[in-house]
Amino acid sequence: MKLIRQAFANCLQNLVRNKLINVLSLAIIVFTLLIFSIFNFLTYSIERFSAQFSDDIRVIFYFKSDIPRENIDRLYRQIESHILVKSLHFKSRDQALSDFAREFPELNFILSEFDASPFPSSLEVIFNSPGDSRVTTDQIMNFIQDIEQNNIIDSRQINLEWVRRLTSLKKFISSVGFFLSVILIFISLFIIYNVIKINILYRRDEIDILKLVGATDFYIRFPFIIEGAFLGFLGSLFSIGLLMLLLWIFPHLSPVVSNIIDNIVIAATPPFYIIRNVILLGTGIGIFSSFLSIRQFMKE
Amino acid sequence: MMTDCRCFHKGLAVADDRACVALSCQTCYFGLANPRKMIEFYHVYMQYIKSQYALVDLCLSIEKGEFVFLTGASGAGKTTLLKLIYKAQTPVKGQILIDSVNINMIPKKSLYQLRRKIGIIFQDFKLLPRKTIFENVAIPLVIRGTKKNTILKKVNEALSLVGLTHRRNYFPLHISGGEQQRVAIARAIVSDPKIMIADEPTGNLDTELSIEILRIFERINAAGITIIIATHDKNLLRMFSKRTLRLEKGRMVQDEPTGELA
Repeated sequence: MKLIRQAFANCLQNLVRNKLINVLSLAIIVFTLLIFSIFNFLTYSIERFSAQFSDDIRVIFYFKSDIPRENIDRLYRQIESHILVKSLHFKSRDQALSDFAREFPELNFILSEFDASPFPSSLEVIFNSPGDSRVTTDQIMNFIQDIEQNNIIDSRQINLEWVRRLTSLKKFISSVGFFLSVILIFISLFIIYNVIKINILYRRDEIDILKLVGATDFYIRFPFIIEGAFLGFLGSLFSIGLLMLLLWIFPHLSPVVSNIIDNIVIAATPPFYIIRNVILLGTGIGIFSSFLSIRQFMKE
Repeated sequence: MMTDCRCFHKGLAVADDRACVALSCQTCYFGLANPRKMIEFYHVYMQYIKSQYALVDLCLSIEKGEFVFLTGASGAGKTTLLKLIYKAQTPVKGQILIDSVNINMIPKKSLYQLRRKIGIIFQDFKLLPRKTIFENVAIPLVIRGTKKNTILKKVNEALSLVGLTHRRNYFPLHISGGEQQRVAIARAIVSDPKIMIADEPTGNLDTELSIEILRIFERINAAGITIIIATHDKNLLRMFSKRTLRLEKGRMVQDEPTGELA
């Protein structure tokens, strides 16, 4: 406990003593983690947005007229047993007619012109969500195309395209985010590594004296590792704060664009897992780079 | 002869037969680890550059509680010898035993155990300018995790031994050179070391202050602490009649028990 207290005291002392260099390095860490959190947040938002759609992935197959009921039943059983399918609902021509009459009573006069129902019988298929790891939009699309080959199908109506586009957008954003984050994380590592190295050089005399009076390696290293961790932690807190500020300020700055993407960026605050990841990443970068820096110095 | 080998039982450094065999040198008059000895050098060679030896075939033995001066011209190897004792340097050949422990065998991570037995004093004091006198003296205790009350008591004792209790809240730059050296001595003594090493501790001080510092060392020695002081001040050697080792070009040329060097 005493060692931790001392390490924190040393760390704060160093932060104050080397203000400029610490502020600059902190700014770069904040920038890195902000980019990381923005891309994470975008991915999260698109995921949520597409999940709304994907709950609704459904296709309606319209049958050709005068198809024997046995053929439809056979197809019904084939679809029903498939793993991708959540539920399905058959609508006969008469049911379609009565549904139409119920929903649009003002158009009933048109229906009276027909002897029989003008609507085709149909089969509505609702799929499992692509959020489920076993199910992808490609699988659903392939399945639909297979069913379409059946000669009793006249046409189909589908809402899958949106989901497919969103999924590929999400993949693209994730990849760009990952790529940028990796580069920026390396830059942050390098910067913290050098900041700690400067602090070590600044306190070289003190370290030499500590070595001579019998301090353990751990005793000498620990304050620097705490310092790195603190820089990373502080950087992650600032970047989360900035992300929240951006989310709050964005609608005020640009109402037009904000309205367009308002539906996509659903959450006003980042979810817990993003906050946790950013803090872990920031602190981890700090610990790792300061560890490397002091390790190299202790070897000398 | 393993029963005679104390270092074997200490377990810190010498943990195998090989080191003991190396120590039972047939040509040297020193035998296996001797419980009365504090510092033992066996055929020690040291070199910084390939073509030149800083120390050549050095054999010496210093008993517990002894007061020894180490003298010689600049570049004779005094500082190198002291550095070998606290393992700031490692010999290229030979064995060194400190308090019956073969320090060649101490791994880097356990080096602090050796350093805690030794109080080191430098010509340039090596005090931390941003810490008060009290804080400077307290460093060896703080790193050991000593309790606050004990630190207070021991630092005050050490400062009183060197006559600096009244300066405890000053910073090093606010006191004189002689006082700074006394602070360095207080820092070295505060953790009750077995050995005190001083490298030209009076190099920056006038004769009067030098004598004062040497008197402090004498008081510390009276408490049973082994003291080795490197100096080239012949007046001090004459004034304090102690055992004196003289080095010349890395070789031990004289070992005078009373300090009367030729």
